Amino acid sequence: MILTQIILVLFIGGFVAWRVELQRPQSAKWLSLIAIGFSLALLISFANDNHDIFYQYVKISQIPWINKFGINYAMGIDSLSFILIALTLLLGVVCVLVSWQEITDNIGFYYFNLLASLAGIVGVFSATDLFLFFFFWEVMLLPMTALIAIWGHEHRHYAAIKFFIFTQVSSLLMLLAIIVLALINQQHTGIWSFDYFELQKLTISSQTQYYLMLGFFIAFAVKLPSFPFHTWLPDAHTQAPTAGSVLLAGVLLKTGAYGLIRFVLGLFPEASLEFANIAVWLGVISILYGAKLAFAQTDFKRLVAYSSISHMGFVMLALFSFEQIAYHGALLTIVAHGLSSAALFAVAGMMYSRLHSRDLEIMGGLFSSAPVMGGMLLAFVAAAFGLPGLVNFVGEFLSLTGAFKVYPLQVVLGALGLIGSAIYGIYLFGQSFQGKVQHQIIDLTHRELLVCSSLLFLLVLFGLFPELILNHFTEYSLHTNINLITIDKLSIEVMS
Amino acid sequence: MSSFELLAISPQLIISLAIVLQMLLIAFKRSTRLIQSFTFICILLAIASSVFSLPALNSQITLLFYLDGFSFSIVNTILFCSAMVVLVSGNYLTISHEVHDEYYLLVMLVTLGALILSISDHFASVFLGLELLSIAVIGLVGYLRDRRQTLEASFKYLILSATASSILLLGMAMLYAYSGDMSFTYIEANLDNSTANSKLFAQAGSILLLVGIAFKLSLAPFHFWTPDVYQGAPAPVTMLLATVSKIAMFSVLIKFWFLSEQFLDQVMLTIISLIAVASMLVGNLLALKQNNIKRLLAYSSIAHMGYLLIILPVLSTSSIEFAKQSVLFYLTAYAVATLILFTFIAETSKSNSSSDLDNWHNWQGLFWLSPIQASAIILALLSLAGIPLSMGFIGKFYLITSALTNQSWLLLASLVVGSSIGLYYYLRIIFIMFAKHIPNGANAYDLSINSSLSHILLFSLTMILLAFGIYPDIYIFL
Repeated sequence: MILTQIILVLFIGGFVAWRVELQRPQSAKWLSLIAIGFSLALLISFANDNHDIFYQYVKISQIPWINKFGINYAMGIDSLSFILIALTLLLGVVCVLVSWQEITDNIGFYYFNLLASLAGIVGVFSATDLFLFFFFWEVMLLPMTALIAIWGHEHRHYAAIKFFIFTQVSSLLMLLAIIVLALINQQHTGIWSFDYFELQKLTISSQTQYYLMLGFFIAFAVKLPSFPFHTWLPDAHTQAPTAGSVLLAGVLLKTGAYGLIRFVLGLFPEASLEFANIAVWLGVISILYGAKLAFAQTDFKRLVAYSSISHMGFVMLALFSFEQIAYHGALLTIVAHGLSSAALFAVAGMMYSRLHSRDLEIMGGLFSSAPVMGGMLLAFVAAAFGLPGLVNFVGEFLSLTGAFKVYPLQVVLGALGLIGSAIYGIYLFGQSFQGKVQHQIIDLTHRELLVCSSLLFLLVLFGLFPELILNHFTEYSLHTNINLITIDKLSIEVMS
Repeated sequence: MSSFELLAISPQLIISLAIVLQMLLIAFKRSTRLIQSFTFICILLAIASSVFSLPALNSQITLLFYLDGFSFSIVNTILFCSAMVVLVSGNYLTISHEVHDEYYLLVMLVTLGALILSISDHFASVFLGLELLSIAVIGLVGYLRDRRQTLEASFKYLILSATASSILLLGMAMLYAYSGDMSFTYIEANLDNSTANSKLFAQAGSILLLVGIAFKLSLAPFHFWTPDVYQGAPAPVTMLLATVSKIAMFSVLIKFWFLSEQFLDQVMLTIISLIAVASMLVGNLLALKQNNIKRLLAYSSIAHMGYLLIILPVLSTSSIEFAKQSVLFYLTAYAVATLILFTFIAETSKSNSSSDLDNWHNWQGLFWLSPIQASAIILALLSLAGIPLSMGFIGKFYLITSALTNQSWLLLASLVVGSSIGLYYYLRIIFIMFAKHIPNGANAYDLSINSSLSHILLFSLTMILLAFGIYPDIYIFL
């Protein structure tokens, strides 16, 4: 029940924070911090006691929910889910800290939405029933949309509606695919089931499998986001409040990557293999196109948003190369991008609170008045363009190395994205902190320093010791997910 | 007629008796409060008495009626909606000085008509129920005669509804000429001994019948009256029209379609698919530009009726049962969400003002003014949009599952397109409610509901929406 507890702690914590804030102003942020901290503690103590979650999929709870369709309230966890849930909660703390002073109206309701979307995201990472997964997938959207629509910047309604409609339409396609999958299962076995492991056993004709895979793929490609489904992202990221951007870039995009790993590759291995070539090209286009557009931006947050598209392209490229090393690279990139983009958006929020602008044109020479902030920004930009020693480098390096064996041309093209990221990274830093002094700003406060330094610490830590993450994935994933797929691929190649 | 049959139609009988008593009551003492309570109690009695009809499930009751699980649930849903309308009408009407006895009489007549429609199995009973319903609705739509829009709406409804009824009647006549049987199961008797010519005649009859029903359900391209009537009619009447009348008509469509096996006819399938696609697209597209909430809901109801048609093309008779269940669940979800929205509109509007408070700018900042009521409305809108946690999502899940079983890809595609367009305008209303509240005196006064009854109503309807959305197993199909 541990995952349910975490979700409940977050949700109820958010609700309590909302109500208490009305009576005692300034209490909501503390309550939210306590709720997130408590659920993080719950998760860690659980992982401490149950080491087997790192070696196999552990089902936590299975309660009948909608008997008519054989739907269960089924949750489970493995190392992939664990790392993503931990990342979610960690960034949840960051979100609360960056909104500490930024949010001034309807504070209680703000923290309720923040915690409710965290709860939904945790649900997405732990549901093993496809209906439940879809349920959480939609539920996490509502508070996120509210965050953008109520506390966002000038074009918030436009951005929120665009975000909501993009994700809704794509997830409706996924819902169709889920129901077809369950129907096929029902025709084969005579009983309704939406259970992930049941449906995994199904044998589906390759054509149907391909269409079903596409239904899932589009939903996740929109979330990831991948070219050509990326257009919601710059608007949503730019218009969202700082915590909203942190959450979007840090975790919400990862639900797309998670979905690709767990559902597209997990349920439809053969169809994915067939589709891999297209997916890899989409990844490469995303890398180059994202980098190109990032360089053309004059808005701080928009630049970081486009860079996200570029970085997520590496994940797509790596996942669809079906190589163990690339898979590890994708996992590291997911974590790395979660931390570094969250950090960049946090810095953007800090600068916005001082300058009331995100426009790079009016910035310049901030280094003289805020050297610590400048140093931090430089470090995070360096992380984003893959400076060795930071985890982004390891992730992208492994992704490219692993995929090179299978897709040499695509990898060579994708590697150009690294150069692109260096260009727009330096452009971002140079425009804002170097050059002629335009503004005098206050340097980081203690709270902001805490946010930045802890994120930087994690980036360096995982950069120097990536095994801390990868150790959990060696045996388990090698034997279940990836190896099976590579064997399949080999046999297909042998046959043809 | 045996006592068994009498018990089976006890809800209908109680409502008929209540109508007679209402007229006596009006002669005896004219009091709005009294007749409102009387009407409400009678409806509750009718709901309670439906227990007696349980043993008669799946049996023919005289030539005219047939009671099955589907119509049993429809009967109760209709009674529930009428009860809500009666409760909501109280505050709406008490403002003006007149005594509104006849209003409740008309509401009961509409209910009776709908109840007859929902169990009828014969052209005669369908026509009887339909006319009872339509004529009473005309009276209700034009009830507030001081409002200009109301009169216009009433006339529009009168003319179009009469036209639709006569088309329906012509269709029935042609079917009768073909089969010599007025019951919905006429097809069974005439499968073998029919020539190609008479088949064509029957097909024309079916199409005319379908057109008549489509008029009443406001399916595109027969939807033109809907927005004007929705906007012009007093809010509780619109509520009645949007729930009771639509539910009853849809049950007629379901019976006609499945009993007379129209789903085997390729021409009918093509026509119904075209109507469905047109309704989904037209309803949603026209709703995009509306600033009047009643008009917007009118267009969205066109779209919702279009979504419902998705279950009609079935591939095999085994999937009919599931299709009916999907319809029941979706109709209930649609009705509850509509009830919530119109309860709010009716409670904030007054019958003596020149129009209802239905411009969406009236709702600006509602969430910050009264969060609980606003949450109820938001949930109702999300339910109509089909977002999880609400009953509407499970309803949509039923519809999609049903359509996937029968492989109606075209209809599914337009459902996806239609509901994505729909998201836009539902979301727009929600965002308006989250916008900054502009405190101009009139606005703040009008939007605060001070009757505790309507608070309870909104709250309990919302709970129903949530309960069925989170735990749909509690919806029992008979």
